[in-house]
Amino acid sequence: MAEPTHALSVLLDDDVFALNRAVGVVRRRNLPIASIAVGPSHIPGASRLTVMMQTDDAGADRMVKQLQKTYGVREAELLRAADAVAREVALVRVHAPAEVHQELTEIAELFKAELVDEGPDVFVLQVAGAAWFILSFIRALERFGIMEVARSGAVAVRSAAPPVPSSPTSTSATETVL
Amino acid sequence: MSETLSGAQILCRTLVEEGVQYLFGYPGGAIMPFYHALGDCPELRHILVRHEQAAAHAADGYARASGRVGVCVATSGPGATNLVTGLATAHMDSSPVLAITGQVSRPMIGRDAFQETDVIGITLPITKANWLVQDAAELADTVREAVAVALDGRPGPVLLDVPKDVQNQKAEYRPKAAARQPSPTPHAPSFADGVAEAARLIAAAQRPLLMVGHGVILAGAYAEIRTLAEQTGIPVITTLLGISAFPECHPLHLGMPGMHGEVHVNRAIQQADLIVGIGLRFDDRVTGNTAAFAPRARIVHVDRDPAEIGKNVKVTVGIAGDARDVTRRLIEAVAPRRCDAWWEEIRGYMRVRDESWRDGLSPEAICRALFAVTGEHCSVVTDVGQHQMWVAKLFPYRRPNGHVTSGGLGAMGFAVPAAMGVHLARPDEPVWAISGDGGFQMNMAEIATMVQEGLAVKMAVFNNGYLGMVRQWQQFFHGKRYSCTPIWSPDYVKLAAAYGIPGWRVERARELEEVFTEANAVRGPALVELVIEQEANVFPMIPPGGSLSEPIETAPAAAAT
Repeated sequence: MAEPTHALSVLLDDDVFALNRAVGVVRRRNLPIASIAVGPSHIPGASRLTVMMQTDDAGADRMVKQLQKTYGVREAELLRAADAVAREVALVRVHAPAEVHQELTEIAELFKAELVDEGPDVFVLQVAGAAWFILSFIRALERFGIMEVARSGAVAVRSAAPPVPSSPTSTSATETVL
Repeated sequence: MSETLSGAQILCRTLVEEGVQYLFGYPGGAIMPFYHALGDCPELRHILVRHEQAAAHAADGYARASGRVGVCVATSGPGATNLVTGLATAHMDSSPVLAITGQVSRPMIGRDAFQETDVIGITLPITKANWLVQDAAELADTVREAVAVALDGRPGPVLLDVPKDVQNQKAEYRPKAAARQPSPTPHAPSFADGVAEAARLIAAAQRPLLMVGHGVILAGAYAEIRTLAEQTGIPVITTLLGISAFPECHPLHLGMPGMHGEVHVNRAIQQADLIVGIGLRFDDRVTGNTAAFAPRARIVHVDRDPAEIGKNVKVTVGIAGDARDVTRRLIEAVAPRRCDAWWEEIRGYMRVRDESWRDGLSPEAICRALFAVTGEHCSVVTDVGQHQMWVAKLFPYRRPNGHVTSGGLGAMGFAVPAAMGVHLARPDEPVWAISGDGGFQMNMAEIATMVQEGLAVKMAVFNNGYLGMVRQWQQFFHGKRYSCTPIWSPDYVKLAAAYGIPGWRVERARELEEVFTEANAVRGPALVELVIEQEANVFPMIPPGGSLSEPIETAPAAAAT
């Protein structure tokens, strides 16, 4: 799919039914989804679900309202990609015969990737960053022979800078909701 | 003070504690411990249905008529899956239904055990919440939570899946400590500014309309809506589920909008400069093509569910709140006014349609006769299709919340079982289930339930030998190819006799009043077949996806393909 336009961030009860329900609400929108990631949040008993997806601002508004009333969901917000910092982790198993160790190590250093495991002819490298950065790393390793890639899917938070003002073309479904 | 009970006993105790009186259900393997415990619980009356779908519809009917939670019970597997249509109906129409399903024992879950089905997964999108109860110790609190969630805010169905070994498991039971405080609405609105803005718009409008929906009935805001209307003279439109929220005979009542709304109602919407929508969701059957809906109007939208505001139509002022609270505030904020010129204009849109019916057996004659016999306390439960539209528009509802129908889901087969629930909520008032010959045959097995349980539901069947609404669409939009819509019916009078209840066949208008009088006077259930014209249509009609400005008022002369 094309670049995700939004990062959906949902704080939900730490149980699989709440997760299922929240993901069901997202699925029903029938929108392209780039990644889904879930893990503990800063609040005990609550998980953070992050969905990178394509939508427009009006569709985003409708989905967030549906999520906010979903049983088990504590908070939901949809950040425009421009207003969010999104990062993911990838683990790459790559062919690593002795003669390419030097070259692989240099590439890893370039991408600040970490050698997390190694065996005869195999390196497991860990890289973190934005989606484009991870893709670049994977491409750089392709010629060595990638055996397996596992990506976490992005997690996102609101960026530290003030949000970019809405573009004039974006329409909100409501003018005033009190 | 606690005692040790089985999960099944805890379930029964907690239901009684929550004020439940009736259960509609059907036993089976995985729910048997619960049924065993039920025998020691005379406070709970169980109605044995003939199909679990009927249990869910009956619980829904009870919930809508009583405002309390309606409970249905089924076993795992097929029992649970049969509930699905009824739960989806309750979900679409915001009805507080609690479904209790048996589940295979915990060690068997996920192993495709006999009659195992993932009912939690199946019902996730059609319930407000559902729970797989993992331990009998959690059961009481889960039931309390489930009932609270079903009733809280915008009501809706919930489901409790209880594994068989949890029903047998012993646990400590503690009665509910104190009356539960109503939980605060999650998005507690401070809508004073919205009300002031709405009042300003109402004062300035030349052509205002009030559109009221199911939210008004759920909030019991009948008197408030009436006061608001009378104070302002604004015409009142009632959506399909808003019918009986405002008296049909009131001079300010305009009618039903949308796909089968009368021309003057839809035209008023198209000419309006302000629509104050209270407790409705601007469903596509109401708006037609939203791009062409009410093009001149600003919209004030009041709804309990903030997610509804702005979902389907663009609103100028959205107020998230209870219909009664918000309407009270509107009454205080709005200065008295009149809408005489606007009414004059609307009266100019009204016209009489010239329709003739064989032997005078028109929907109008049927509704008139039924009302004459049953009086103003009658509850009418309709099914889905042509008869539903006719009865919605023509029965002169007086009783608040006297009209019950499957609106959002449009589930055929709803009326007969739902009427059983309505009857139990209103045992001293006449309850009529009106169906077509298609929908009636879907759940007519419930006559046996009525007989066995002594439920005095009166049934009327509009028999035209067709799945009439589909046939009408075929006539208008599919070149009159009546594919698979002719439908055979049994001899309904003999069917009634087979169930041991009185039955009548009406073919002429002049027989109506006498038959309705007799049927209404019967102490138990009764069945009236109304043999209406075969190819009658519901007029007017907005084609699906069309604009409210372009109604079909007569059958197309040449069939399009």
